[in-house]
Amino acid sequence: MRAVSKVKQHSIARKSLRRTLFFIVLILLAGSTFDAYNQAQLALVLILFIGVLSVTLLTGISGQLSLGQGALMAVGGYCMALLITNKGYSIWVAIPLAIVGAAIAGLLLGISAARLSGPYLAGTTLVIALAIPTLSNRFMSVLKGDEGLPVDVGYPPNWFTKLFGEPSYEQWQLYVALPFAAIALFFASNILLSRTGRMWRAIRDNETAASLSGVNFSRQKIFVFVVSATFAGLSGALYGLRGLVGPSVYPVSLSLTLLTAAVLGGIRSIFGAFIGTVIVVFLPDWIEAVLGSFELSEQVSNFMPALISSLLLILTVVINPAGVAGTHLHKHK
Amino acid sequence: METFLAALFSGTSRGAIYALVALGLVIVWRGAGIVNFAQMGQAMFSTYIASTMITNGYSYWLGFIVAILVGAAMGALLDILVMRPLSNKKKTELLSSDSMRAAVPVIASLGILGVLQALAGIIWAAEERGFPAPYPQEGFTVANNVMPFTSFDVFVISIVLATLLATTLFFKKTGVGLAMRATALNAEVARLSGIRTNFTRSLSWGFSGAASSLAGLLITPTSNLSPNTLDLVLIIGFTAAVVGGLDSPAGSVIGGFLVGMVISFVSFYDTPEDVFLSILSVLLLVLIIRPRGIFGAKDARRV
Repeated sequence: MRAVSKVKQHSIARKSLRRTLFFIVLILLAGSTFDAYNQAQLALVLILFIGVLSVTLLTGISGQLSLGQGALMAVGGYCMALLITNKGYSIWVAIPLAIVGAAIAGLLLGISAARLSGPYLAGTTLVIALAIPTLSNRFMSVLKGDEGLPVDVGYPPNWFTKLFGEPSYEQWQLYVALPFAAIALFFASNILLSRTGRMWRAIRDNETAASLSGVNFSRQKIFVFVVSATFAGLSGALYGLRGLVGPSVYPVSLSLTLLTAAVLGGIRSIFGAFIGTVIVVFLPDWIEAVLGSFELSEQVSNFMPALISSLLLILTVVINPAGVAGTHLHKHK
Repeated sequence: METFLAALFSGTSRGAIYALVALGLVIVWRGAGIVNFAQMGQAMFSTYIASTMITNGYSYWLGFIVAILVGAAMGALLDILVMRPLSNKKKTELLSSDSMRAAVPVIASLGILGVLQALAGIIWAAEERGFPAPYPQEGFTVANNVMPFTSFDVFVISIVLATLLATTLFFKKTGVGLAMRATALNAEVARLSGIRTNFTRSLSWGFSGAASSLAGLLITPTSNLSPNTLDLVLIIGFTAAVVGGLDSPAGSVIGGFLVGMVISFVSFYDTPEDVFLSILSVLLLVLIIRPRGIFGAKDARRV
């Protein structure tokens, strides 16, 4: 019995590893053909992809709708920025510690939110997304209020430039984000394929049935929040590294963007999370490319991306709730 | 003492508006089992329409009535176009579980909110603009002291109380109100006994749209109007509704005034920046101590 499950675990890990390697190669290939602007956009895709995975795990897999992932991202970002600016840590130390900080925040959130469901949970997390950034003004001396804490990815270490040559700033952004995105993808894939993922889906589909089959659902619900918070915290830390950690960087709309991406791509699959993130990040560029010839006023073109992505969100939910990756639904079930 | 009175009065008039917002949320929750996060987006849109009419020389009251009618029509339309098709899709795999059945309409309502805000930005630009009040916003003078209470506040409180009374009477005394309550209680049984549940659902949405448009018209003279200003009102209204009990219209009124007071006292005695933290604490406190709210019915869970 043991031996069987061990073999199974290996095959799961191998499957996840294959996906991850494929993902890395794909990103590196795409990154090498892109110009500087699109490389930075691709880095943004990788960063937000991690955040969207946190939504996929929480909402798509375990059925708990949270609109407060942006707050957890802010926790990750602030933890990292404080460690960098006050303690002088390098980003490679600060980011893992920031993830721990976000996980603790996720634990607190999970404990208080595990008994909530549906709209109650959505509303409460929405209030949290609004309230957390205001803490920066409450603790002005440490968190520096609206100004925020400036941080950036810095410069590549010597061994890196010796091996691969001097990367541009955009390339370096991409190379910093890639290993983290790959690790996140690997873990998410493992969770989805393993027993834990099955338990979470069981909770989503029917709490009573799940608990009758031996799933301790309140503990698992809290666990989902912790795991999801680690993803969100990592994403938030990397998001802050784009230049600034401040309340304006993690608005409520960020949480909604993550949710939009997860739903558009397909809220139940990792592949969907990636597709959704690509759509959300590149949509403004695509719209500009299409509408550029029409000479629209700034007022119209500013709001076009928001209008189109919201329309897509409604259409997806009403017409094709499984999202772009919907065809995979049965396989990943 | 003066600060106390000011906080009390501002809490009362703001609380009345929050009660109205909460009432809108409660009506849709009871009628359709959905928390409509787009509600104040609808209110924002119809208030913009009123604002445009008033700046083009129509009277305030014409704009006022048109905005409420537009709000009602928009609510019903959103139900017919988005929410009804969604609830008919229950058979699909994604919506097969209770948790997703609750989550997906929330996502749809957020999409609606996004569309309304983007449209408002495209049509009316994103800059803040003022919105007129029908009565002066200067405090009454009592014995040479200017009181922190205006005739506009009196108007707000009386119109809100009248609306709440009318809603209660409508639900209790009319046949349609009875049909709506029956649908809220058990849609399946209501349909079997000949109630057109689709119609009553859309009616709930229409009512809620009208109530929230009224709230938008009443709050924008003090908060200004932009595509995003009313988001915060929705959050506060949601808290009020949860505090009072999401399924209780009377509770929403109590919740509205309670939350209004909390916000007003926090912003007078502390700083306005702490308002969200205080709302969050109130919300968490209620959800931990009494999750169904002060007036919420005991929920029975069937296996």
